[in-house]
Amino acid sequence: MTTPGLRRHTGAACVLIVLAAAWWLASASGLVSPFLLPLPQTVLATGWELLADGTLGMHVAVSVGRILAGYSLAVALALPLAFLFGISPAVRQAFEPVLEFLRQVPPLAMMPLLILWLGIGEAQKVGIIVLACFFPIFLGALGGIAQCDPKLVEVGRVCGLRQWDILRRIVLPAALPSIVIGLRIALGQGWRALVGAELVASAAGLGYMIVDAEQLARTDIVIVGIFVIGTLGLLADFGVRRLIARTAPWLRQRTELTHA
Amino acid sequence: MLELRGLGKRYTVHDREVVALADVDLVLKPGSFTVVVGRSGCGKSTLLRLLAGLTLPTTGAIHHNGGRPKVGCVFQEPRLMPWLTVAGNVGFGLVGKVTKAEIEARVEAALALVGLSDFRNAYPDQLSGGMASRVGLARALVLEPELLLLDEPFAALDAFTRRGLQGELTDIWLARRPTVVFVTHDVEEAVLLADEVLHMDGGRIIGRREVPLPRPRDATDREFVALRRAILDDLSGRAGSSPPPA
Repeated sequence: MTTPGLRRHTGAACVLIVLAAAWWLASASGLVSPFLLPLPQTVLATGWELLADGTLGMHVAVSVGRILAGYSLAVALALPLAFLFGISPAVRQAFEPVLEFLRQVPPLAMMPLLILWLGIGEAQKVGIIVLACFFPIFLGALGGIAQCDPKLVEVGRVCGLRQWDILRRIVLPAALPSIVIGLRIALGQGWRALVGAELVASAAGLGYMIVDAEQLARTDIVIVGIFVIGTLGLLADFGVRRLIARTAPWLRQRTELTHA
Repeated sequence: MLELRGLGKRYTVHDREVVALADVDLVLKPGSFTVVVGRSGCGKSTLLRLLAGLTLPTTGAIHHNGGRPKVGCVFQEPRLMPWLTVAGNVGFGLVGKVTKAEIEARVEAALALVGLSDFRNAYPDQLSGGMASRVGLARALVLEPELLLLDEPFAALDAFTRRGLQGELTDIWLARRPTVVFVTHDVEEAVLLADEVLHMDGGRIIGRREVPLPRPRDATDREFVALRRAILDDLSGRAGSSPPPA
């Protein structure tokens, strides 16, 4: 590990330790009521308890399952549509106003309608995630295709490539950095929208776990839930970046730059 | 034999007609090395794009006995695909046309030719400017072109690297004898490389000079300097320059 890297990690660790200490102090000194802010060790014990009796695992499995379904569906819709737009200006002009309109509506604002249409079951949760994930993926891909260097396309034409091969061998890889950024943003947005949806109407999942604990006045469970949500989000993002670094080494540098 | 007959290209920009190329008649003998010089906007890049098939002429035609020639193109910028390794870039134009084994063999040979065998697995962002130019050259050579087109390929390089690559290009041309059309605004480069130097202005070929010097050429040689001076005079439109030989 290089020295600047080490220094960066030391700094981050210091901030975390200071935050944890402040939390502990605020709670232990009685500055904040332990009912509103339980001690760190209480939260840790509750977390362990929830893990041991399988409650946490069940809620995580439900939430992650919904994310996987909604995210995959959004990818399957957004990427082909973006390429269709990229190669056909007519299609783009026809559909652009509708999509621009839909983009302005936050996914959670669509929830009442989705509940009426799809009920309060899995379909509605997955629907919310699809709505939240679609635009980051779609716009990322569209932007990437639009930014493809025409000079590289010329190289393909000089080599005698057909339109389809130019798309597959030049435009797609050139658009990949933007696509990847869209995929990363979409994952975060989807995760947020899901927890939101689970807060409103659900019988399982991390959002439900939090809101249920709130009604039972179990602040410790609420905090455990928040930590798990944040940690899973970080893990997913880390996973996506690792995947990119392994499958597309030339993107390593650029995805690092976009990791802000 | 490649014949350009009455070749012209015009296009409209903001309702104004621009003549990029007008009435170009030119015969390129097989294995000849032609350098086109002229100031920017004189039509030399348009000529190259027409030869490359990247754009169609508005008048005239290009004739080649035996259909369209196999073309290799080297651009002003290396134009490498950042997602491909050096080997992937060099073999780019062969994929789907010949077997994998043949691609591999031809890529190896082309890399050896430009001295980059040790960098076959590097990515373009790890290369120096000169190395990237070599990859661009190898990508064109691997196609075994009958017609090799180069558009100011060394313009962005430092003097030492440029001199090295000019020497390499001459050696490769002597070994393989493709028909070369090389565009530059560097007169010394033109005299160093060419069999014949064409002078373009306003979309027309307005002068041509044979370069009868033996290779390798020495830029400090007396005849070299005289020829270079004569072409510079042509370019600056100074009177007293000898008339173009027919």
